[in-house]
Amino acid sequence: MAKLPVSPEKIIEDFGPHLNFTPTEGYPGRDEPDATVKTHCCFCGMQCGIQLLVKNNKVVGFEPWMEFPFNEGRLCPKGVQRYLQDNHPDRLLDPLERVEGKGFKPVSWDTALDRVTAEIQRIQQAYGKDAFSILSGVSLTNEKSYLMGKFARVAVKTSNLDYNGRLCMVSAGAGNKKAFGLDRTSNNYTDLAHAEVIIVAGANVSETFPTLTYWIWRARDNGAKLIVVDPRVIPLARTADIHLPIKPGTDSALYGAMLKYLVDHDMLDHDFINNHTTGFDETIAAVKDYTLEWAEQVTGIEKEKIEQAAAMWGKASTSFLLHARGIEHHSKGVENVLGCINLVLATGRIGRPYCGYGTITGQGNGQGGREHGHKCDQLPGNRDITNPEHRKYIAGVWGIPESELPGKGLTAYELIEAIHRGEVKGLLSICFNPLVSLPNNNYVREALEKLEFYVAIDFFLNETARHADIILAGSLHEEEEGTVTTAEGRVVRIRAAVSPPANARTDTSIILDLAARLGAADKFTYKDSEAIFNELRIASKGGTANYYGITYKKIEDNMGVFWPCPSEDHPGTPRLWEDKKFATPDGKAHFNPVHYRDPGEVTDEEYPVVLTTGRVVSQYLSGTQTRRIGKLVGLIPEPLLEIHPELAMKYGIRQREMVKVSTRRGTGEFPANIVETIRKDTVFIPYHWPGRKSANQLTIGTLDPVSKIPEFKVCACKLEPLGVISRPGETTAFDSI
Amino acid sequence: MHASLNKKALLVATIVTLGCVVISFYGSRKLQNFDPALIAYLFGTLFALFGGIYRYCVWLQRPPTWMYFRRTWQFIFKGSFFVHIWLLLEDSVKNLLFQRFIYPRGKKRWFAHFMLASGCLAAFAITIPLTLGWINFTLDPGTALDPGAVKLYNANFFGFKVMSFKLGSVLAFLIFHALTWCSWAVIAGAVIFFVRRLTNAGLIASQTFEGDLLPLILLIIISVTGLGLNFSYAFMKGMAYDFMSVTHAISVILFLVWIPFGKFFHIIQRPAQIGAHIYKREGKKRGMAVCPHTGKEFTTQLHVNDLKIVTKQVGFDFTLEDGSSHLDYSPEGKRSLLAKAHLKARQEGGSFFG
Amino acid sequence: MEVTAYKTDMEFFVDMQRCIGCKACEMACAECETNGQESMIHVNYVERAVTIQTTVQVCMHCDDPVCAKVCPADAISKDDFGVVHSANTSRCIGCSNCVMACPFGVPIKEEKYDMMMKCNMCYDRTSAGKKPMCATVCPSQALFYGTREEISRMRPNSTPVNTFVFGEQVVTTKVNIMMPKGSTQLKVH
Repeated sequence: MAKLPVSPEKIIEDFGPHLNFTPTEGYPGRDEPDATVKTHCCFCGMQCGIQLLVKNNKVVGFEPWMEFPFNEGRLCPKGVQRYLQDNHPDRLLDPLERVEGKGFKPVSWDTALDRVTAEIQRIQQAYGKDAFSILSGVSLTNEKSYLMGKFARVAVKTSNLDYNGRLCMVSAGAGNKKAFGLDRTSNNYTDLAHAEVIIVAGANVSETFPTLTYWIWRARDNGAKLIVVDPRVIPLARTADIHLPIKPGTDSALYGAMLKYLVDHDMLDHDFINNHTTGFDETIAAVKDYTLEWAEQVTGIEKEKIEQAAAMWGKASTSFLLHARGIEHHSKGVENVLGCINLVLATGRIGRPYCGYGTITGQGNGQGGREHGHKCDQLPGNRDITNPEHRKYIAGVWGIPESELPGKGLTAYELIEAIHRGEVKGLLSICFNPLVSLPNNNYVREALEKLEFYVAIDFFLNETARHADIILAGSLHEEEEGTVTTAEGRVVRIRAAVSPPANARTDTSIILDLAARLGAADKFTYKDSEAIFNELRIASKGGTANYYGITYKKIEDNMGVFWPCPSEDHPGTPRLWEDKKFATPDGKAHFNPVHYRDPGEVTDEEYPVVLTTGRVVSQYLSGTQTRRIGKLVGLIPEPLLEIHPELAMKYGIRQREMVKVSTRRGTGEFPANIVETIRKDTVFIPYHWPGRKSANQLTIGTLDPVSKIPEFKVCACKLEPLGVISRPGETTAFDSI
Repeated sequence: MHASLNKKALLVATIVTLGCVVISFYGSRKLQNFDPALIAYLFGTLFALFGGIYRYCVWLQRPPTWMYFRRTWQFIFKGSFFVHIWLLLEDSVKNLLFQRFIYPRGKKRWFAHFMLASGCLAAFAITIPLTLGWINFTLDPGTALDPGAVKLYNANFFGFKVMSFKLGSVLAFLIFHALTWCSWAVIAGAVIFFVRRLTNAGLIASQTFEGDLLPLILLIIISVTGLGLNFSYAFMKGMAYDFMSVTHAISVILFLVWIPFGKFFHIIQRPAQIGAHIYKREGKKRGMAVCPHTGKEFTTQLHVNDLKIVTKQVGFDFTLEDGSSHLDYSPEGKRSLLAKAHLKARQEGGSFFG
Repeated sequence: MEVTAYKTDMEFFVDMQRCIGCKACEMACAECETNGQESMIHVNYVERAVTIQTTVQVCMHCDDPVCAKVCPADAISKDDFGVVHSANTSRCIGCSNCVMACPFGVPIKEEKYDMMMKCNMCYDRTSAGKKPMCATVCPSQALFYGTREEISRMRPNSTPVNTFVFGEQVVTTKVNIMMPKGSTQLKVH
């Protein structure tokens, strides 16, 4: 509802972000904890195993979990510091109500939930069911993701439910479904260890998935060659055998040219292509003109390097191709993904030991969360909401007539656009901070200000929730039982180490309470998280993401189970496609022709420099959690503008000079970091910060036509040095407004 | 630690100890003011003095220590003497009297140390002069014989009257019980430390019994028996007085004898911190060293130059082929150089991995 | 310190070319009970303007530690396992001799404490038979703590080296650096 109730400074004073540090001699009780809880990190898709030390219902420290097979105790800095989100002074302890001119005041749960119920009902009666929307997120467990999907469709009865996975790996999901009929990385990561060639495309593994580095380094110890595709020399690229410094927005040209090279040099697995795939001829026809010279011109990579990379990939007998947001955050995200898959299929290196392919899912439960139905076009088990069969099955599980099940709704960014247009009037958000994470966030702010009613569920008051009318104090990762599915497709157990403090409640209990108030109590009668999971098992049964055979006990006994797992005696599936039976209707893997086209915005005279965005190792997503942890903020206190010395010289920019970066959507000021490790035509800004320090003031909302992912990774900008040298530590960016 | 006898140290320690005996002899007015009950303590004190000085001299002769010692006095006597003395006093009050540098490590820790240190130093200040007969208390002869007058006590230093106070006055109470206050302070500090040492995992891992726990136990025994003597005398009609008196004496003497060798030597060492401050302050005035790798200042040029000498004196030579030194680089520069050399070796080896 | 489960067959192996600069070790180091939330490990860019290369440095635990030799206060000691311990807090006078003399740039002068602190190989953990925090969490295993057999099995083409040349000075250490197979020393200058 409209603008902030009070100045942002006042909100920050009351609700943070404030920085949390461990006391000098540790939290009391760390040496003799009441419990050591085996659970997982709350951050990225690796879901590293970790043990939390608990004393008096507080997390007081951690101890590495040496036995968990993926990470064997290894952690990144975020994982090491994750325990500091507990015991945090900014933690919301009561439901809050907006008070004009004052800020937010604590209210009772009844007051808050009655108001939410009344507003949902009022808006839906006045403007229609779909005028109330829900934005969810995939840091939630499988149980909560499933619950949000059911809550939206059965209790709120809106079709407008989407999630922040829309900014994450939807392009990969869409590409994988097209090619394989199923959306999961094909192998677990131990298969990396003996791959001969590894391509890492648009994935800053060492900063965003640091613990995955181990498996890539293991492979290299065993002699693997590493090819890294990235506009910057990322830490992984420094020692890589080949680094392809690609111009942002031109990825599909590179993969097209590499495919043509494989075809021209007959580095193909004809048996595999003939017997297990379709669409090969159309696909190679699409790349017939993509010569190395052409690719050099488009991508800005020397043709010799492309040739070298293609030859290296072509000759290998085992390989693994990994990609992430770098190729997915594009208006051609799906095409880029398909370009990669074509390279895998052409060489037939899939469905065998040490032959793998996959996207590296970014968010904590980016994998599981995108399978169980809080996506606007999807139902549990990765079912399609427009498919009558699928609708019927899920309606049956939920005990509602199929006709009452809403249809496909708007995707996350389209939803913001609909709010901006005034078509959608109400919003419930959980686990999503779009004011930092969506592109062109000045536009997002305008949209938020137009809402008639906005309720946010969160454990901290994030930047977006400052616009809310009601904030419901929900639960942290370590406060609820559940499961998540890691980027490998391994379903693991999340443990409740502590219970929510003061009057905060578990997210699940809040949703169940709301569902009851909305008149759907009989459809939401779970006694605990396991009961939700057991319903999810049934709902996913027969779907591609089949969890039916997975139980809490089985997960605990095996430290995780890989889906698909169709029956209780099934061991799970760490490696897909060993039987060469793909999940497509015809059982074959599909080549998809990819024609190169330009990104949504290209450079011109007015905006001559390519801007790309990304992440840093010490922050996670929009920073709601990590911008509150003192040492993580200390590691990288502010976003810097990475710029090549030649480009810097052209504009007369000096090291750490403040530079005004402008695009057609907004401007921001960032200190320059002049480094030779970036392309000469491209600048880079990490995006985790809010307000004036937000890179997403600049980015563009062009969407991929299929996946509807926004084009975070490329737009056009101009640079102006401001003549002021900023010294480190002079500014605080973690609470920028 | 030092197997052979150090002649210089022996000489200095002997001279100082003899000097002390002479001063005490005359200070106690030829033993007139000397309290024979304290004879055991006297020998303990003299031994501690001898051992402390000996150890101190041995310590000073170590090249790095000597360098600091020499530089400190050199700087104090060169340049503006009074400014130095002022800063030195200021530093001494802050760091020696109040141990302010401990405060950032933990408030409780500082409090404990402050209590311990204040208690010990005050107790030293009282007992050592008493033991050596430098101080004694006498009933004022003028009031002693006058039954109507309020009794006055005189405190004498080297036999000279320095002050007098009324018997039964608050001041008298404070002075006669000074050691009681010291004891309580020491007990408070030592107990806090003791509990900390038993519960902090980091300390448990790195402490030793004789180096860290025994000194605390000893201090607690001294203080408790000291208090006990008083208590027994005042309230228990002397019960267990002898036992406590003997335990007290043994523990004090142990403590004194141990000063030169164990944990307590740091009391004597600590003023060197002030020297290090002067060294840094003066060095800054003379100019900073700039790391050839990082291009940043990292310490004083004086420090780098002195370290080149000191490292050679202790058997290390970081001189490079071009005549410069590895010590010319900052810590970050040194780490980067190592990493660069390693990178080069890996590149020449043809593989980063495996 | 007397009762210990220190495993003498475990050794520290460092390979800074594997380092990705993530600073997990730095965060984890501060969790070591002996350092009171201060980190003793160093991760720094080698020359950020031209390369993303980072280096990671733990205490090498020299056989003949120059830090201890140049300490004017006798505050640094080496134990029977060869672990060179952090300054004795009661003795250290904060002079920084060790900081500037260490050829590996390891000891840290904590200005606020006016005292030196350094890596003691997570003595609270290693003395209990566990791995040091940094090597436990290191996601690239640039820091590896284990047996010689393990490392030679995992990295057969590398050789652990513990001899370092700094001009005229040769320094030997307890901690190893992984070098190309057959190397016997690392010449820094």
